[in-house]
Amino acid sequence: MSAPRADVMTEAWRVPPVSVLLAAVALIACAEVGGASMVQWKPEVTRWARDTMLARPAVHGLVGVRDVDEQILDEALTRLDGGLRLFHLHAEGMGTVIIVTTMVATTLVASDTLRRAIVVLLTVGGAVYPFGYLLWSALIPFAGVTPAKRIAEWVVWIPFGSAAIAATWLLVWALGTRLVTRRRQPT
Amino acid sequence: MRPSHAARAAVAAVALALTAPAAAHHVGAWAPRDNEISANFKQLKYSLQAGKLDVARRLYEQGAVRQEIAKRTGSLPPGLDDAVRTALTLGDVAEAERGLTLVLAALIRDLALEAGKQVGDAAAPRAKRVAAGQKFLEAIWRYYNLIDFTVTQRDPKAATGIRLAFDDAEGYGKGGAPTLETAAGGPAKVSAPQADPDKMLEPLRRIARILSGVVETFATPTRRQS
Repeated sequence: MSAPRADVMTEAWRVPPVSVLLAAVALIACAEVGGASMVQWKPEVTRWARDTMLARPAVHGLVGVRDVDEQILDEALTRLDGGLRLFHLHAEGMGTVIIVTTMVATTLVASDTLRRAIVVLLTVGGAVYPFGYLLWSALIPFAGVTPAKRIAEWVVWIPFGSAAIAATWLLVWALGTRLVTRRRQPT
Repeated sequence: MRPSHAARAAVAAVALALTAPAAAHHVGAWAPRDNEISANFKQLKYSLQAGKLDVARRLYEQGAVRQEIAKRTGSLPPGLDDAVRTALTLGDVAEAERGLTLVLAALIRDLALEAGKQVGDAAAPRAKRVAAGQKFLEAIWRYYNLIDFTVTQRDPKAATGIRLAFDDAEGYGKGGAPTLETAAGGPAKVSAPQADPDKMLEPLRRIARILSGVVETFATPTRRQS
């Protein structure tokens, strides 16, 4: 077995700012509440969504014939349920991702500016991104599946998803740079 | 290039590169499901094929297909319900299949007629007419797919006619693939035919007309082979 490396031994993991941890834990809490609510009020949510869609036949392209309309309604209700499930899944996952990645950035990124930028982008991007699924689900009965998706994309998924992706790549770049710099240094 | 321009270009390139993966989020998948009628029809068909007549009889007595027959008494041959029940009791699979096919054929015919009305509504916006036509065609195919084999066995000409009419209507509803047009002496240009609700009307009427014939054909009981 090889001996532990000196740099790993000497560096302790640093805790990210409390506000970041609070955002991540609150996101996981939202995921749990969302998941539980989805199960608890599934019939009520389905009934509300169905009634809202039936009140807007033009928006959903309903034609007034059962054999046609029930497929349209079924697709919209399935997508709505899928959006809620994806919110639960992404919020749980992103909460954990925020904690881990910000901890890595806080510990290993030397530049203050870069570290702050990465932590802010990861926290804001990661914490808001899952709410795009909630927005999509909420808008489906009012706007239809595709227009609701477009709104969620431009309001939440693209800006906040981009922020999280940019922060992750910045972190990759910072860690790569650190690795290369350390290798060049004489031992 | 000045450094500030290069930096801006780099930022723009990174922003563009980020937009594509950020737009590629999971939104789940949806596949059309059976409704009560198509599910009950499939259950009946499989029970009959397996020779489970008691199961088929129970599924028919309690199922959506029988409810549909009750709803459509005016547009179906009289005594159809009794004929199907008798066939199931006697174990006459061909006769039971005839009755079940007839119900769906009548249902599809009525869908095609309603589709013709809505697609032909000149007061409605063109896009809405096309969208309605496409939705009706999806519903028509979902049901016709279930009886195509039986119709083909008894009336292959009608089955081919329905499939061709369906293809025509679907083609007019989707618009066509781009083609290269060359006018005499002029430059070649690419044109793609747009979806045309007016052209969808004729194949939809053809589907309804052929299915009226199918309903008439299937209204005649099959001759017992033994």
